[in-house]
Amino acid sequence: MTALLGYQSAMLLRSQRWLPPVLMYGIFLVVGVQAGQPVLDALGYAAAALLPVTAWLVRICVTQEPAAARAVVAAASGSYRAHLAALLTATLFACGLGVLGTVVVSMVSRPVNADYTVRVPPLSAGTAGLVAAVVCLLLGAAAGALCSRPLVNARGRGIAANAVVALLALVAVGSPARSAVSGLVRGSLTGTVGIPGTQLVLSALVAAGAGALACAVAARRG
Amino acid sequence: MKLRNVGRRYGRGGPWVLRGVDLELPAGGLVRIDGANGTGKSTLLRVLAGIDRPTEGQVADRPRTAFVPERFPAALPFTASDYLVRLGRIHGLRGTVARERAAGWLERFGAEAHDRTPMDELSKGTSQKVAVAQALLAEPELLVLDEAWTGLDVPARTELDLAVAERIEAGGTVVFVDHDPRRLAGALDELYTVVDGGLVRRTGALPDGAEAGPETRIVAVGPPGAEPPDGLPGVPAYETGPDGRLTLTAPAERSDALLRALLTARPPWHIEEVRAALPVVPAARAVLPEPAQGSAGPRADGRSPDDRSDGSDGSGRSASPTTTTRHLTS
Repeated sequence: MTALLGYQSAMLLRSQRWLPPVLMYGIFLVVGVQAGQPVLDALGYAAAALLPVTAWLVRICVTQEPAAARAVVAAASGSYRAHLAALLTATLFACGLGVLGTVVVSMVSRPVNADYTVRVPPLSAGTAGLVAAVVCLLLGAAAGALCSRPLVNARGRGIAANAVVALLALVAVGSPARSAVSGLVRGSLTGTVGIPGTQLVLSALVAAGAGALACAVAARRG
Repeated sequence: MKLRNVGRRYGRGGPWVLRGVDLELPAGGLVRIDGANGTGKSTLLRVLAGIDRPTEGQVADRPRTAFVPERFPAALPFTASDYLVRLGRIHGLRGTVARERAAGWLERFGAEAHDRTPMDELSKGTSQKVAVAQALLAEPELLVLDEAWTGLDVPARTELDLAVAERIEAGGTVVFVDHDPRRLAGALDELYTVVDGGLVRRTGALPDGAEAGPETRIVAVGPPGAEPPDGLPGVPAYETGPDGRLTLTAPAERSDALLRALLTARPPWHIEEVRAALPVVPAARAVLPEPAQGSAGPRADGRSPDDRSDGSDGSGRSASPTTTTRHLTS
């Protein structure tokens, strides 16, 4: 699996295909986060931005390999593992991006509640922001896995489905991402930090299910 | 590896591309799959290579597998040797081993000058050499070749023929599809045709339009009273002379392997003579001109003299037609 991950990530990093989603994440943060803003609001916003970005990264990773090269790797390692490596590469890359974004946002924003009256402990705020970011990126990865090859093969339909599902995962009632983000924003009103642990478990289950389904279909269809 | 009642179709309710395929791949065997365009040869190869799973039926005892596609688009952000080392590691090799073998195979296919060329700048033929090298460096137990010779230059095709023979000699199985019916025709162990989504085994026959390739005759002397060793490569026909000399006739592609088997047998055999065999010309076709290699004189590997000059290979597929009829034993 290490070799597969190395192969997939080298392909992602050297092709520069990672650049557009990373730029999108950067623009989201620059537009939405101002220096000196209350930390929990800013972290909630940063976490939410990571969801569509991860969905896009997953789409890039599972479609970047030419079909013949994919067949060669599938024969060597099995189609299931080959597809899993693509999904994991995108998710790990998004994790790195999420950690970076969370650290930067925590540093530039002010450790206070929404009306600047209560001090918020910066470390626990950062931790909660990181967990919320992971919740969002896991759901984004699930959206990307479900809306790309091999489950949705047509390019146009895949991109549209990816955007719609990513948006739904962010705003739909009952979505762990929405609940994690709104938990941060609500906590900001009173200055209390809650770590979205339940949401983390739920989103991990959703991501694992979506990934397993995509890999199983990949094993059938190469 | 065994396929039992394997069927494959694309999409639920779609037509069956393959149905009821039973196939057992022999270790150390060379298997050719024939069939008209669109009959499901490629689908079968994808199932054999483990790229696709069959819709129904079972695949049992999958060995370590490598696959060479027909066209290998090189739109990958790696250099040739970087790609090969990465694929070697995916095949389970250690980095140092993968690097050594990658360099070795690029050299054998005459592509060592391109080891640092980015894949997307390689010519079509060189890309194909990289695809072939990728599979061979893994020394797979099952090698699946989907028209892998297409796009290769003549020395590289000869080299691939030789590499296939080596894989078989090492106990691996090679399954291939190729549009040239003469491809490795003399060395085939089994021949199948895909007909209406099913697999028909043909024995004692060469592919349509194929003539057996050149043969090599080896005269060897064994220890007094010894029988020829079992399981000789190429399933040679042999006769024992009154003086204990054994004359073996085998496909030229397998002659190196056959010599090695005789020399390394315990006790070893002494080789007295190796030469290109005079083809047996059936009466009905006796009007054909005499094949060139019949008069080529004794050469250690049965090749025509202009075939290659470095003496490093013995695959010896010659371009001159022969009309030998061979019966496959498998």
